[in-house]
Amino acid sequence: MNNLSRRASLLSLAVGLVALSAPSLAWASAPESSPPPPPSPPDPSDPGFVRYLLNRIDDLHRGESSHGVLQMRVKTEHWTRSMAMESWSLGTELSLIRILEPKKERGTATLKAGDDLFTFLNKTGRTVKITGAMMGGSWMGSHFTNDDLVKDTRLADDFAAELSAGPEIDGAPSHVLTLTPRPDAPVVWGRVEITVRAGDLMPVKQLFYDEDGAPSRRLDYGDFREIGGRTIATRITMTPLDRPDEFTEIRYARLEFDVDLKREFFTLQQLQSM
Amino acid sequence: MDTVKLAWRNVWRNPRRSGVTIAAVSLALFVMILYSGMFIGYLKGMERGIVELEVGDAQIFAEGYRARPSIYKTIDDAEGLLTRLDEAGFRGSARLLGSGLAAAGDASSGISMRAVDVARDAEVGSIAEQVEVGAWLDPAAPDEVVIGRKLARTLGAEVGAELVILSQGTDGSMANDLYKVRGILRGISDAVDRGGVFMTHAAFRELMVFPEGAHQIIVRTPAGVPLPEAAARLKKLAPAQDANDWKTLMPNLASMLDSSRAAMMFMFVIIYVAIGIVVLNAMLMAVFERIREFGVLKALGVGPLGVFGLILIETFIQTGVAILIGVAASVPANWYMVNVGIDMSFGDLTLMGMAVDPIWRSQVDASTYVTPILLLLVIITLAVLYPAIRAARVHPVEAMRYQ
Repeated sequence: MNNLSRRASLLSLAVGLVALSAPSLAWASAPESSPPPPPSPPDPSDPGFVRYLLNRIDDLHRGESSHGVLQMRVKTEHWTRSMAMESWSLGTELSLIRILEPKKERGTATLKAGDDLFTFLNKTGRTVKITGAMMGGSWMGSHFTNDDLVKDTRLADDFAAELSAGPEIDGAPSHVLTLTPRPDAPVVWGRVEITVRAGDLMPVKQLFYDEDGAPSRRLDYGDFREIGGRTIATRITMTPLDRPDEFTEIRYARLEFDVDLKREFFTLQQLQSM
Repeated sequence: MDTVKLAWRNVWRNPRRSGVTIAAVSLALFVMILYSGMFIGYLKGMERGIVELEVGDAQIFAEGYRARPSIYKTIDDAEGLLTRLDEAGFRGSARLLGSGLAAAGDASSGISMRAVDVARDAEVGSIAEQVEVGAWLDPAAPDEVVIGRKLARTLGAEVGAELVILSQGTDGSMANDLYKVRGILRGISDAVDRGGVFMTHAAFRELMVFPEGAHQIIVRTPAGVPLPEAAARLKKLAPAQDANDWKTLMPNLASMLDSSRAAMMFMFVIIYVAIGIVVLNAMLMAVFERIREFGVLKALGVGPLGVFGLILIETFIQTGVAILIGVAASVPANWYMVNVGIDMSFGDLTLMGMAVDPIWRSQVDASTYVTPILLLLVIITLAVLYPAIRAARVHPVEAMRYQ
């Protein structure tokens, strides 16, 4: 894979996963605190609305800590596979994801501690630190890269955004946020478009364009329901647009926020003893 | 007959002068013979390095693999193709290729896996002999791998170290297993040095869930068949595959070799011109020193043709002696250059990422001697023609007064 596409995929998750917001996957830097959105958002005509919306998208799936169970389905040209995973996160620095199914891979786990990423391999009983070349490689066989998991981004800081009216979604109006990276932001996208339902300000779609202006990745959000005390999208699908027949889909079966977790939980010893 | 006798006597009448001429020509011939052996040896050495070490004379891939490598792009019926290659006098060895991550201790690095059929691979290349520490693969020990030298350094892995290899199987599963480092290679090529992990077919098939097929066949062409012709035959044997000779696979390297051939040729010409001038100078001096002598000869009634012939015969006597000396001197020198060579290793010697044998050795056959001798004769003839004609046409009285 060439360097550009590697970096491109990285960023898609950087931004994508934030919205994708798997508590365990959403490893973007958090604000000072992660408060639930204020009960009454500013009016769309308010100049602060765009920033409010960006922060809301960033924080939607974040809690101080979380614990969940998810299904990841990956379809490629050559195979389709489904995995069940359990995830834990604490703040934005620490997360752990462990495979439950298939049986053969049960126990294989990824630990993210700060900028470091470790994979525990159940078959060999060894822990591998993911570095260098492997950062651009696929994470657990999905279309996400390892790099995507450790990348920090904050929409409101890294992008200049413009709000416009979007298409009707199921008969309801929507907003489209067109994001252009700020000059010094660590972003390889030429442009990012986020479609948000006007009614509840839920993101439903993100499109990532490369520097040449060609769309390269799409994230779709679906199955909005209340889980862990919040209403969020419980199904997120990532489609690499250069291979439109392939996708990675994540569904949350269970999700709890603000659970009781200690920092000691996110250690290599824990990784190996699970 | 008398002329020959006279010439023979003339040659030895002034041993110092003849000695200088003979020495100049001998030295010239010595340099020419030595240099042509080194010239051929240099080019062949580079070509052999490329072909034997890694690339082979030709390679077969599945169509499209080279443009976009994928573990799923396999050569159809690789086994059948190998059999057909054997029958046609080619030698081939199938390789399975994949990429992944290797980790040892806290260090990890991206790798490219190359699974080899140990027995067949020995027929097509010398990589098995390039193990610096440890040993080459053994089919009986499928959990042992041989790795590139820079990779070993990156991972801090020595022979016997434990290596975790991590990749993605063809069924999408997380391929991972433990291996032991069996050997560490010498410098082969940038790609192999940095990330090459050699393993057995069995180990690769197990790790990658890759029960059959192959990605690459390294081919050696039948001996004595020129490369383009062999490549054409190969294409016929594997019509549905992507079969190419090494010059097509590595066009940069091939054109680099061509241009170094041209550069060497240019050097060759310069050396011959320099030698021609040395010989011409010796001949001119030898003739003009004796102008008065030729004047006397002509006064005694020897015709211009006689003088001309005399000088020519003298020259060929001297040249004959010089050839004997030159060849006699170059035989041991060539022996040394063939068997010992010059060590050119100042660090790692690589040519466009391919390791080159750091020992510069000559390649010697009959033409190494015959061509320089023939060329020397031509140069000498041309060089002696002008002074000989001058001497033949000399006016006896003027010549005898010549200072």
